[in-house]
Amino acid sequence: MGDFTFIYYSLKSRLLNTSLSILLTTFGLSIALLVTQFSNHVQKSLNLDGNNIDIVVGAKGSPLQLVLSSIYHIDLPNGNILYDDAKKFINHPQVSKAIPLALGDNWKGFRIVGTTDDYIKHYNAEIIKGRNFEKDYEIIVGSSVNLEINSKISGSHGIIEGGSSHNDLKYNVVGILRPTGTVLDRLILTSLNSVLNIHGLQEIHHHSEHDLNDKHDSHKDHDSHEDHDSHEEHDSHKEHDSHEDHDSHEEHDFHEEHDSQDNESHHHKNKNELGSAEITALLISTKSPTANINLPRLINRQSSMQAANPAIEITRLTTMLGLGSKSFSILSTILILIAVLSIFSGLASNLDNRKGDLAILRAIGYSKIRIFKIISLEGLTIVTIGIILGVIIGILGFNLLAELILPLRTSNANFIVDTSFAMILLSVFLSGFIAACLPAYRGSKISVANQLSRNI
Amino acid sequence: MLFNIKNLEYNFKKHKILSKKISFKLNKSNHLLILGPSGCGKTTLLNLMAGLLRASNGLIEFEDNDYSLLTNNEIDEIRAHNFGFIFQKLHLINHLNVEQNIILAKNKKDSQNIYSLIDQLGLSMIKKQVIGNLSFGEAQRVAIARALVNNPKVIFADEPTSALDDLNTKNVINLLFSNAIKNKSSLIVCTHDKRIKSKFSNILEI
Repeated sequence: MGDFTFIYYSLKSRLLNTSLSILLTTFGLSIALLVTQFSNHVQKSLNLDGNNIDIVVGAKGSPLQLVLSSIYHIDLPNGNILYDDAKKFINHPQVSKAIPLALGDNWKGFRIVGTTDDYIKHYNAEIIKGRNFEKDYEIIVGSSVNLEINSKISGSHGIIEGGSSHNDLKYNVVGILRPTGTVLDRLILTSLNSVLNIHGLQEIHHHSEHDLNDKHDSHKDHDSHEDHDSHEEHDSHKEHDSHEDHDSHEEHDFHEEHDSQDNESHHHKNKNELGSAEITALLISTKSPTANINLPRLINRQSSMQAANPAIEITRLTTMLGLGSKSFSILSTILILIAVLSIFSGLASNLDNRKGDLAILRAIGYSKIRIFKIISLEGLTIVTIGIILGVIIGILGFNLLAELILPLRTSNANFIVDTSFAMILLSVFLSGFIAACLPAYRGSKISVANQLSRNI
Repeated sequence: MLFNIKNLEYNFKKHKILSKKISFKLNKSNHLLILGPSGCGKTTLLNLMAGLLRASNGLIEFEDNDYSLLTNNEIDEIRAHNFGFIFQKLHLINHLNVEQNIILAKNKKDSQNIYSLIDQLGLSMIKKQVIGNLSFGEAQRVAIARALVNNPKVIFADEPTSALDDLNTKNVINLLFSNAIKNKSSLIVCTHDKRIKSKFSNILEI
């Protein structure tokens, strides 16, 4: 009889004990895998979404809330800031890139974000179908947003599902983004002016926006804030003029193209009746690490806005999250330890009952090494089955939770086989082996003659 | 020479387990009865001869192999290839069936065909039954089959008849002798049961 056949019948003869050990190993491992997979996913998402965003500027309030709502789109914004106030930091010489975001509406829980092309470029996103938004009320959607090209949607007020709908104004889907694994996958992107317009705010003229970026380059040589401010004044005039042009020409064109939409009330309002242009946040990449420290100080001290450093805020967040995931890690470690102890106690306690059998095996010629091998292989069989079931349950459980929990579903959470996965499996396997070794050693060292005499 | 035993002693915690120094020689295919009262060290002598215990003093040679010069692994090898055991309490593995208990001991290419052995010992009808469901007589035949499966040179039997009535004693002894003769094995039986004394020409009383 082969050793594996003997092991099979031996484990089968104490099915309850074997099953319990396997189940404990399975649950301990699957929880450990779930915790590490979710932790890794959150960490990866945080890193991807926050990549190269050095400062977030927004309304005063909680800096963590500002970062979460503006970069990760998982919290409510503190409020809005005047675009004119934000503009001088778009042009700041220490700023290499500034992306304005205007929030306010959602479609079925997916946030509608007014922004510029820079936002899409920042995440290296590509349009897989259709084209980029060019005109107001054109939208492109992330890969997780279930919309087709030429779909018409109305935004609901607020950034969580259930607000009153802007039924009078329809957005038109013109493009769909390739999955990026970033926050873009669960956003609906449109022009800044679309969002401003729908909320009865003054528009930002397209030329003005481009000018701001162009001017930003031209400002590279302007070191003093005074120069910068004087330029802004000039800017604002230019913007004002161009805005009037926009009112008279572009808006006219817009109406011709969207005459089916009942949006005249907004566009025919006198400019004085419209509120000043507002944005929710400004995502800034700086030119130097020093600017990451100095610029927030300057903004927080000299303006009615708040600047938050995402790196600091995310460190705070991960520390908070870490407490939670640490508890789960401790729990799963305890479960694995219980499983290992169960394998140990199962084999060790059973050893006393099996000494007679082992003595017979020794008497009929089984060597000590072979006895050690048989008992340790029994432990390894339990741990291997536990690992296989643990991995299967871990993967199924992860995919199930990833489907059930919206942030995980929208962020395309996938079970990843990586180093931490291999390390967990290896540590469980080795722990099981060590747990099996002691009973195996004791079993191999039994005194055959004494044992057989005792049984007589 | 199969066994050469000279001045054999075995002590455990300074107590003499064997009642006296043992010396004898046994040739191949000869049978031996070790006779003595309970506690005189019969089973200990059998364990020493089988290499399950190490002698405190004296010599044990099996086919000119001095046990004192052999490693544990070498003695395991000798035991696996040359000896078969029938214990008083049989010591079958309860969670295995008849067939599996016999196969378990099979370790040589020229081992007996276990199915003809099962047939010879009248175990064919119960070969798939687990040991717990067998009568003592059936279980004893399984133990004998296990002892014979490797065509051993020596069959050690410890008190094989002490729990049996006269008829079954006769049957078991006849079964052991017929199989030992057929396999050209030496049968070494230790017992306090004098009913079987007449069957042996070599008797060691201790």
